Amino acid sequence: MRVPYDHLLAACAEPLVRIGERPAVTRLRAEGESIIVDRSDFGPRSKRPGIPAHDLTFNVILLSTLFAAERKTFSNRNVVGFLLAVMVLFFTHVFAFVASVKSIYALQLGRWSEVHYGPIARNFWAGSAHFYRLVGIYAIAFALWWLFRPDPETVALPRSAKRKRKK
Amino acid sequence: MAQVKLDAPAGVPKPMKRDKALFLIKFLGAVIVLYVIIALNPVNDRVIVPFTQRITEVSAGLLRALGQQADVDGTLIRTERFTVDVKNGCNGIEAIILLVAAIGAFPAPPLMRVGGIVAGAVLLQLINVIRIASLVWLGAHHPSVFQMFHVAIWQTLIILVSLVLFLIWSWKFAPLKRLATSP
Repeated sequence: MRVPYDHLLAACAEPLVRIGERPAVTRLRAEGESIIVDRSDFGPRSKRPGIPAHDLTFNVILLSTLFAAERKTFSNRNVVGFLLAVMVLFFTHVFAFVASVKSIYALQLGRWSEVHYGPIARNFWAGSAHFYRLVGIYAIAFALWWLFRPDPETVALPRSAKRKRKK
Repeated sequence: MAQVKLDAPAGVPKPMKRDKALFLIKFLGAVIVLYVIIALNPVNDRVIVPFTQRITEVSAGLLRALGQQADVDGTLIRTERFTVDVKNGCNGIEAIILLVAAIGAFPAPPLMRVGGIVAGAVLLQLINVIRIASLVWLGAHHPSVFQMFHVAIWQTLIILVSLVLFLIWSWKFAPLKRLATSP
């Protein structure tokens, strides 16, 4: 699951990172446990930075645990809520990945970073990536569970109870 | 399986979608504000770093009490085989931020909020000390599983504890108080 997910993440994040690039030079590729950030204007011998994808996506464990802890784990409402939450979570992973790539560009490429990113942009991207890693990653999982979990006063009744109620 | 909507017990306000959305907006807003506060350099240097050093000392003390050799240097815990640097993300502040934001966003009397935050923060830090000490021990004796416990297991566990504390507080204490204060 992890390898195809990393490939999907790289494929979706790449066009977003390229927005504003003239020419579009960023290439993202999943390799091992990381997504490698490559640019066609990097020197052929220079090292390519990598972002461990798991560091940005492990909140799926927290989200799954929260849904699994619901009283009726496999009820239709809980399963549908979980699937919707995972879909939204995927988009947050894409944006988190874009912020991580941008923070590498803004802070870690020495003189190039200083020339291409002003102080506001540097603070914004670094702050966004740090916020996500420190607390946003958990806040998002909790918020999605809170939003998509079944209402506490809604319960599923077996078919026999349904028939009795119709009578 | 048929879905049947049950009436909420008398006096307990029925959760509404608007309340749910309002809670989320307040919660996410509070998380961002609290993050900005702790990210400020003066706050980080004068509050967060000294706090992390105290947590490091207590964790090393726990290891020594359990018969392990452990030396402290700032936020570093050194053993013969392994050294750990306790940084933001390992000092339990993120779990406290989530707890404060969730309790702050939930409708409850101020005293109940303060009580929940203080009790929850103390409990979280007690668990965090166990987390740090156990990670140092794992790094020294079972390094192959250190990363898994560090990133996936303990991190998720401490956040879960924070969220469970909030849920218990909201179920057990906040609604009772709300009922008592309702006309």
